[in-house]
Amino acid sequence: MNIGSVNRRGPNLWLSNRRFGALLIIPSAFVLLVLLVAPAILTIFQSFYNVPADGIGIGEFVGLSNYVFLLTNPIFWESVYVSIVFAIIFISLSTIVGLFAALLLNQSFKGRFFLRGMLVLPWACPWLIVGVIWKWFGDGEIGLLNGILLRLGIISDYKDFLNDPNYAIWLTAIAASWRQSCLVGLLLLAGLQTLPRDLSDAASVDGAGVFQRFWHITLPWLRPSLTIVTVLNVIYGLMQFDVIFAMTQGGPSNATTLLSFLIYRQFFIFTNFGIGSAIAVSLALLALVGGLITVKKVYKKIEI
Amino acid sequence: MKGSSKQDYPSIAQSNLDRRSVLRGMGVLGIASLANLNLIQEAAAAGQKLNFTAWEFQPDTIKSLVKAWEAKSKDKITISFIPNVGYTAGIQARQRGGKPADVFYNFAYNSEKFVQQKWAADLRGLPGVDKVIADMFPSSRPRFVADNGAIVSVPYFSAVHMLQYNKKMLADKGVTLPNSLAQTYTACKKLKDNGVAGPYTAYWVKEFVEEYLHVYLLANNVTPFDSKGEPVFADDSKAIEVFEWWQNMYKDGMTPKNVLTADPGVHTTAMAQGNAAFYALHHYFLNDIVQAKGPESNNCDQAKIVGTGGKTLQMGEVIQMGGKLKGAKRLAAWEFMKEYGYKSANGKFTTFTKWASAASLCAPYPGFFADADVKAAFPKYMDLSLIEDTFKNSSDVVPTRTLPWYQGFQAQCGTIIHDLLLGEATPKATRNALAVACRTAKSGAAL
Repeated sequence: MNIGSVNRRGPNLWLSNRRFGALLIIPSAFVLLVLLVAPAILTIFQSFYNVPADGIGIGEFVGLSNYVFLLTNPIFWESVYVSIVFAIIFISLSTIVGLFAALLLNQSFKGRFFLRGMLVLPWACPWLIVGVIWKWFGDGEIGLLNGILLRLGIISDYKDFLNDPNYAIWLTAIAASWRQSCLVGLLLLAGLQTLPRDLSDAASVDGAGVFQRFWHITLPWLRPSLTIVTVLNVIYGLMQFDVIFAMTQGGPSNATTLLSFLIYRQFFIFTNFGIGSAIAVSLALLALVGGLITVKKVYKKIEI
Repeated sequence: MKGSSKQDYPSIAQSNLDRRSVLRGMGVLGIASLANLNLIQEAAAAGQKLNFTAWEFQPDTIKSLVKAWEAKSKDKITISFIPNVGYTAGIQARQRGGKPADVFYNFAYNSEKFVQQKWAADLRGLPGVDKVIADMFPSSRPRFVADNGAIVSVPYFSAVHMLQYNKKMLADKGVTLPNSLAQTYTACKKLKDNGVAGPYTAYWVKEFVEEYLHVYLLANNVTPFDSKGEPVFADDSKAIEVFEWWQNMYKDGMTPKNVLTADPGVHTTAMAQGNAAFYALHHYFLNDIVQAKGPESNNCDQAKIVGTGGKTLQMGEVIQMGGKLKGAKRLAAWEFMKEYGYKSANGKFTTFTKWASAASLCAPYPGFFADADVKAAFPKYMDLSLIEDTFKNSSDVVPTRTLPWYQGFQAQCGTIIHDLLLGEATPKATRNALAVACRTAKSGAAL
């Protein structure tokens, strides 16, 4: 009996490969089914009902009226707009900053291992804590951000950015991106580590400059990682809640009232589960469309 | 038959039980029954297992109060804490999830909704509940008694909005204590011209600014809502003056830059450090200012928001009983609620005295302010008689704030007021938007 025959026959002692694979995924499939699929189906189901607040029964079937209510409500559309703006800022900043961090930490220099370790720190910080930190950082009276901008001559007096609807959305998105860009950096750094050095060296010998090597070799190589990262960013951007909750509670006015905030309010404050579910389904559709567009654009656009 | 009857059934005289002794015995029993009705009920209720849900304000104080009650009652009480932020979400999720608390803290604005949903009990009929309500300030009762007569809660604590101010700073700058909203602006202007960057501070964040809507409307003698919850302020021209004043205070920089987002602690520090001269919020924040031990802490005092002319908002949170309790457990829960939200069996405000000492919180009972232990427990730098007078004569709970639909209005109120302060809406548009938001919330269509 040789080794090859053991390898071929080994699995057959127990189960076929297919059955063995199925067995392996059962625990995670069960968890996904219970925690993801079932609630998702229930949410879709509830969005067509006037669900009673006391949680007893599903309530009266109301057809599309929850959706009609939303689609004719200016607060909903304002929130859709704010969510999209927030997501665009968040996705762009997270991806770009994360990419630059990965490129930088992929270079050979003293202390890079320490800095790679530091990259994990913001990611280890819960979203809510990120919000609290940035709320103090951006404070209009004592915030460090104001101190820095004042020293740099960008502002002439302390300004409370969170009080200003034009800046609040930016500052909250930057705060959330600060954490997310670290995850992006880690994932892209992992991708960069697999890039064969020969490719870059050969391009250098052929006279390609830094930018050309980045555009024609590095970026295409990162295409799968970038696709995953961007889809994650779309999801995190549209589903963001904690940072907003800690920093502005959706204010000032409705400047940072994302759809996730409306969902929270309907579900957990008003206990209006029908409307809350309809908003959740709308947000899921928005994230789905955003994710699909991203995959299509990012995956196809970068080609070797 | 008669003879045999006499033999089989001895007469009262033969059995040493004469008519007098029977009547005496029955009389004694009757008096004892009447007098000890509560004791009998308490005995029946004793030794129950209860769960109590509270938010995390001074958890050690809560634990000590519960422990003391356990020792007294022989009940076993399991305490469950939910963080203050997100308490509404937490307690409602537990109710819906089939894990209701037997006794729980609640925000007053949730109280009628909870009774409506049968998550909380109507307390009518429980022993002594009418006395609890009768012993309150008349101004406080509507928070605990619904329009239909249902008794929805007992007090956890009560407070009145007051104006904390730095009396030394005012004297140094030649500013007199304002007696109206207009005078407040003038005083702030003078202070600002004299180098105080943000003279007037307040907790105007989106989720909380609704309280100030009532504070300022009441201060200007505007009735916010009628008994049916109709927004009658919208028909009162004085409401426009309030909104104009409010907008100017922010627009003209009479407040710190972070007034729309900063937490109360930031404002407390501003007062303690001498960066602000006025701080409008609940009366017990004077305690926080003094405890902050800043250079100006001991120069701070408090006054009514606008002197003696208008009223201010009387607020407070409540304790409710789970909606499904029955029999002895219901009675045990009620006894605990009385201890926590009223008096001990010995007639003392045991729990409230502890809260008075720990955080300067008040109870909405005149007896509380007359109690020697409470007076001793209350910080000496706070004028208890001024607070009492505010409770008694110049505050309003705005009963509409406990109606089930009110949350919907509250959620929109922050946005509308912020729009006003940021100059994105005129005072007139603000008044109209608030009225629309109110009617939308009443119809159940708030988003």
